[in-house]
Amino acid sequence: MPKIASFAELKAFGEQITADRDNEAILMTVCGGPGCQATRCHEVAAELRKELDSTSLNGKARLRVTGCHGFCEQGPIVVIDPSNIFYGQVKPADVKEIVDRTVRKGEVVERLLYVDPSTGKTVLTESEIPFYKAQTPTLLSQNRRVDPWSMEDYLAIGGYAALARVLAEIDPEKVISRIEASGLRGRGGGGFPTAAKWAACRAAHGEEKYVICNADEGDPGAFMDRGVLEGNPHSVLEGMIIGAWAIGANEGYIYVRNEYPMAVEHAKQAINQAREYGFLGEDILGSGMSFDIQVARGGGAFVCGESTALMASLEGKVGEPRPKDVHTVEHGLWNRPTTLNNVETWANVPAIINNGAAWFAGMGTDNSKGTKILALTGEVKNTGLVEVAFGTPIRTVVEEIGGGGRNGRAVKAVQTGGPSGGCLPESMFDLPVDFDVLWEKGSMIGSGGLVVMDENTCMVDIAKYFLKFLQDESCGKCVPCRIGVDRLLEIVTDITEGRGRPEQIELLKELGETVAQTALCGLGKTAPNPVLSTLRYFAEEYEAHINENRCPAGVCTELVEYSIDARTCNGCGACLKACPYAAIQGRKDKLHTIDLELCTKCGICLTTCNDNAVVVQ
Amino acid sequence: MHQNVDLVIDGSKISGRRGETVLDAALRYGICIPHLCHMPTLTDIGACRLCIVDHIKNGRSKVTTSCTLLVQEGMVIDANSERVRGLRRNIAELLVTQAPNSRAIQDIALRCGVTEPRYEFRSDDCVLCGRCVRACKEHYQAHAIGFVGRGQERHVEYPFREKPESCIMCRACVTLCPMSITPCDGPMKSGEGYFCGKCASLTQAPQYEAGDCTRCDLGEGFDCSGHL
Ligand SMILES: Cc1cc2nc3c(=O)[nH]c(=O)nc-3n(C[C@H](O)[C@H](O)[C@H](O)COP(=O)(O)O)c2cc1C
Ligand code: SF4
Ligand code: SF4
Ligand code: FES
Repeated sequence: MPKIASFAELKAFGEQITADRDNEAILMTVCGGPGCQATRCHEVAAELRKELDSTSLNGKARLRVTGCHGFCEQGPIVVIDPSNIFYGQVKPADVKEIVDRTVRKGEVVERLLYVDPSTGKTVLTESEIPFYKAQTPTLLSQNRRVDPWSMEDYLAIGGYAALARVLAEIDPEKVISRIEASGLRGRGGGGFPTAAKWAACRAAHGEEKYVICNADEGDPGAFMDRGVLEGNPHSVLEGMIIGAWAIGANEGYIYVRNEYPMAVEHAKQAINQAREYGFLGEDILGSGMSFDIQVARGGGAFVCGESTALMASLEGKVGEPRPKDVHTVEHGLWNRPTTLNNVETWANVPAIINNGAAWFAGMGTDNSKGTKILALTGEVKNTGLVEVAFGTPIRTVVEEIGGGGRNGRAVKAVQTGGPSGGCLPESMFDLPVDFDVLWEKGSMIGSGGLVVMDENTCMVDIAKYFLKFLQDESCGKCVPCRIGVDRLLEIVTDITEGRGRPEQIELLKELGETVAQTALCGLGKTAPNPVLSTLRYFAEEYEAHINENRCPAGVCTELVEYSIDARTCNGCGACLKACPYAAIQGRKDKLHTIDLELCTKCGICLTTCNDNAVVVQ
Repeated sequence: MHQNVDLVIDGSKISGRRGETVLDAALRYGICIPHLCHMPTLTDIGACRLCIVDHIKNGRSKVTTSCTLLVQEGMVIDANSERVRGLRRNIAELLVTQAPNSRAIQDIALRCGVTEPRYEFRSDDCVLCGRCVRACKEHYQAHAIGFVGRGQERHVEYPFREKPESCIMCRACVTLCPMSITPCDGPMKSGEGYFCGKCASLTQAPQYEAGDCTRCDLGEGFDCSGHL
């Protein structure tokens, strides 16, 4: 591949690619994101490729395997363009029919179309699906337009044009002021204004400066950074190169979570391509700027995503936070000025340069601009990655995009912001997705996790679950986090197991505040959020556990008893056979009963009974 | 650049030396901010969080550890605001219930106002202050002990669990350890979840007043009285 030496050459090259592609009739896009991989999309893709190779379609139709489209619930997904027909939950056996009917004859395979569960109607095209319609796709929508292995795909959608423009005509200071005008804030959790960080790093003394991309993503259930880095690695590289230009850095690192081998692979090959094309290395696009990026694999702990721990880990030390009274923009990696930004933050940069700061600032609320990718999970119909403009009400995300509660159950709360985020009740779903609003209400955007909870969720149990996660992930260095979180967990466990005392509610609040205010790093400072926010909005659930020895959701095993409802039991005996502890008695066609002495509350009978006769109270 | 900076701690105007921490400056002037992991001449790691203060800036105050905060011109510090004292008491309460057998930690807890601990006693024999680890590494360049493990598993250990050649048995680690400074025979006999009351310090220490030094055993252990 020839090195691209200037802005003009890049433009000509991009136009050439688009021109070459215009005559291609049909494009089949298969989502190859993490969710679809789990449903074996690669088999569908392999089948499609075989069909294409073995039939006369070669040249007339093309296959593209991309990064995550977001609609993981429907995977494997095949989209046929230009007609934009959307097929969900495709099996390898469906491929022949898709090729024979849709690709060759332009017919629709009705049974593979998406059925909107709220209306029961089938939806023909991808763009009409309600899940996509309520979103504001700017970053995520690029995923379905590029094969992450193809530099040509990225160039065809205007890739590296922002970089070329910056190098040709925008001074570093002006780049920073554009980012400032856009209002971009960090997507890694803290929401720190990106331009302020860049400006401080640019002003810091030092010959050598670094930029780092934080792709550690340790939150359970979160995969937005993975989605972007795996799906469109060049957008992250382009953002980093522009950032390096603005700051005056010559070296960059992408710190990728150890469990993301595919993200590592995609980032590495993208870097190699960028070097070949001359976007990385010496004298980038003839500007005189030299910059290169390396990929580093994460230390394997959640806390390694914290900025100072991440830098310690990059230096080959134990990934442990240090006090931040001295800022990393001045004394970061190897004690040199360093700018650390999240994957999504970096990926926003080229779009801001291309479309202008005003375009970006036009989306969102007063203090939260642009869009945010959320990982929508839990008890909601449509799970996956969604991208919404800041300011979108939580209700829109849960009900329109998410399709409401799974199995028709009532949604009770959302937990936002990852393990150290907070829970918000349904009555607050009109709140906008906004950094400051959610923080004020005791939750946060965090990195963008959004877990939907329904009436079968016990909020005390949820607090316990997240505290346990954070206790396991605490580095153990400082007292409030190591001992404080452990004590919080001890008390919450007491409450869920029937040993709670009324005065412990106040103690939880006081201790939670103490940990939040005094812990050394962000992990400890936010660790009490799950318990503080559930205490704030679901106090009655704590009280029921403590005062009445009752778990309203029927989750806390110590506080519930299993029984069989005499009116509904038809004596089929399914539960009797299923119980591994022989705790159920009863004769065929007669009422069955549970021996509480033998019952271990494992819940197997509950899931076995077809008539919902097993009662948990 | 000036060598000295003026700052205010608890209403007193003091002159800090550029590069020193707020805690060091305060101690030099006899303003005793409770502390545990800090030791003069060792790098501060901010682990125990006892030395927290209110750093008042543009009308807003922020809680931060004074052992990691460098003095700056015009700085205003409140080491004994009601909020800080409450938080500090809660941290000391966590410490003393985790390691109730340490006389030094009992002293600190008492001084920070812990009277009736609200948690069940445990009996850890290390509070991970890291004084031993740093003394071994920084004073003697021996690196014979270090922290191993994460979270609840974190503990002090020899590298590869074997006493290395570099350990010359100087016992500095033991001398500096808050657990070994005048050990008491402890309340942690089975069934006794309260202070035994045998410690003179517990029965005799006066009610805590801001800035009041009780000449605790821990202080003697690391020569804090030298400051006063
Ligand atoms: C315990 C902990 C874990 C974190 N993990 C991540 C992470 O996985 N990814 C990330 O981008 N930021 C993470 N952060 C936030 C980073 O410290 C840092 O603020 C962020 O990467 C800065 O980038 P931004 O300004 O673009 O958000 C974490 C913070 C804490 C306290
Ligand atoms: S807050 Fe937790 S994770 Fe952070 S330094 Fe303290 S112990 Fe380690
Ligand atoms: S052994 Fe003693 S000095 Fe060393 S970390 Fe533990 S408590 Fe501190
Ligand atoms: S003395 Fe400052 S944190 Fe321990």
